[in-house]
Amino acid sequence: MEPCVESRLAKLEASQNPDGGWGYFPGRPSWLEPTAYALLALSERRGPAYERGWRLLRSWQIPCGAWRPCAAVDQPHWSTSLALTLHSVAGVRDAAFQRGFDWLLTSAGAEGRMAARIAHWLCPSIVEFDPGLAGWPWEAGASSWVEPTAHALMALRCAARRTKDPAWTGRMAMSERMLLDRRCRDGGWNYGNRRVLGADLPSYPETTALALMALDGHAAVAWGAALDGVERTWRDTRSPLAQAWLSSCLLMYRGERPRRAQTDERAENDMLVTAIEGIPWNHILAG
Amino acid sequence: MEPHPGWLMTRRGFLGAAAASGAIAGAGCARRSLAADPPGKSAVAILRASSYREDLADRLARGAALCGLEARGKRVLLKPNLVEFDRNSVIHTQAEVLAAAVTLFERLGASEITIGEGPGHRRDAWFLAEEAGYRAAIPDFDARFVDLNRDEVSRVAPFAGNEGIYLARTALAADLVVSIARMKTHHWAGATLSMKNLFGVVPGALYGWPKNHLHQVGIPDCVAGLYRTFPRSFAIVDGIVGMEGNGPIQGRARPCGVLVMGSDLAAVDATCCRIMGIDPEKIEYLRLASRQGRVREASIEQRGELIPQVRTSFELIPEFRHVRLV
Repeated sequence: MEPCVESRLAKLEASQNPDGGWGYFPGRPSWLEPTAYALLALSERRGPAYERGWRLLRSWQIPCGAWRPCAAVDQPHWSTSLALTLHSVAGVRDAAFQRGFDWLLTSAGAEGRMAARIAHWLCPSIVEFDPGLAGWPWEAGASSWVEPTAHALMALRCAARRTKDPAWTGRMAMSERMLLDRRCRDGGWNYGNRRVLGADLPSYPETTALALMALDGHAAVAWGAALDGVERTWRDTRSPLAQAWLSSCLLMYRGERPRRAQTDERAENDMLVTAIEGIPWNHILAG
Repeated sequence: MEPHPGWLMTRRGFLGAAAASGAIAGAGCARRSLAADPPGKSAVAILRASSYREDLADRLARGAALCGLEARGKRVLLKPNLVEFDRNSVIHTQAEVLAAAVTLFERLGASEITIGEGPGHRRDAWFLAEEAGYRAAIPDFDARFVDLNRDEVSRVAPFAGNEGIYLARTALAADLVVSIARMKTHHWAGATLSMKNLFGVVPGALYGWPKNHLHQVGIPDCVAGLYRTFPRSFAIVDGIVGMEGNGPIQGRARPCGVLVMGSDLAAVDATCCRIMGIDPEKIEYLRLASRQGRVREASIEQRGELIPQVRTSFELIPEFRHVRLV
């Protein structure tokens, strides 16, 4: 294991909360999102920290099949996708996993509803997109966006390695088309609007990396140029979170994760950055 | 650009389900009338400041005195607008204004000064703060800053006619929330000022990037709901250089040379609208807020400069030309 990955995992183990989860920052209350990333990072090592975290994560599933975001909020959350990816990585395909997937498959963006489609047909240039292509929303009843769609697609892809379900295949194909439809003119992705009121919007590094990871070698992407762009952006951006996702994308497709020349104290204390940089995405997403 | 049919924009429920952005829900074309003003008057201070190189702490101190602002012993949250950052644009609250606000509240004897923001589009709030120059302008910025998108949350109910919403606990726990916005037009709401800036206290960790929940419920209702949720608040609007046209992200810089301050956010925003050449009574969230705050000119006591002396007509996109002040 690379020394920098080792240091990320050690940091995660040292920052685990007594309840078994991780907060967005050390010492802060646990949330599902950093907990799921931390467990994905620790998934090849396992050990007591992993087991404590796994138990907490399992206890946060709610009756509808989704996962709650934190102890204080009892409602379905988009990071259910991360919990499901973790189940696939752990090889756990029990009833809880199935209920989670059932919930995920019934969840879709609101833009596909009839009223929304009529409104878009009347004013197509307010926000330019194809309302027939449903992805996943941040929360039930909202529209589809790039990040929750990318995570849901990755969760389905991990699960589909073992189970071939036609319903999954259809949904995966549609969400790939949705991501491609939301691609910005500059070749990347932002949160999910490429053109509003006649104006092109710019892409962001972190969402570009996530969309590329979710698209998993899709034929519609010119991968050489796209990954060269990811590498350039990784060098240029000063956002530790953007760097974490860009380096994860390069790890997935090129098998090697570039490393920052110097450590950033702020990044070290951001559990999302620490965990994402510790996840073996090349093993997880490539099976 | 396609026309923006007014009837479509009034049907919140219809459009709430509509947009991929969800953001067109509830914008513009108000039909509700202004509520009767609460008794009394709200003081709003208008101060000239032609550049960010001026002594802004001194300007803000004058404004605070004109408004009778008290902050001694209070835990204050300064909430700038950092929805996104683009070094070639004026999307965010200028660092010099935020730094001057820190100085102001130190001088006023606040017991604690926290800076908090939950950016609406990008996740890395610290990075945005660094790019915007906040870390360089405020020496102890790291110790003061809270990413409100990833804060602990508490539920507030009811909210905007709905069952409730979770908000950042740091904001709810503050004795005084100071909304420090830039004076900008807004392509869904007409104008974004101190009230709309409160969207940043809604946690992205729950509602996402963008906070589509607010668009689905309806922008005007949520702006007015947040205004009601934070009665202990104060507004500082950075109008030294504002944004006109296709705001709040893609508009053009519009020098206006003012700082606008006051304890009644609705009165401050109504005053800003009048300065920008916008009729505040045609901005839907201000109509909704008029049940608690003062929007009519006769109910606002203007201190410092007078509106006609600083009026700067901001360009409006065609969809919002109907809100032009005549």
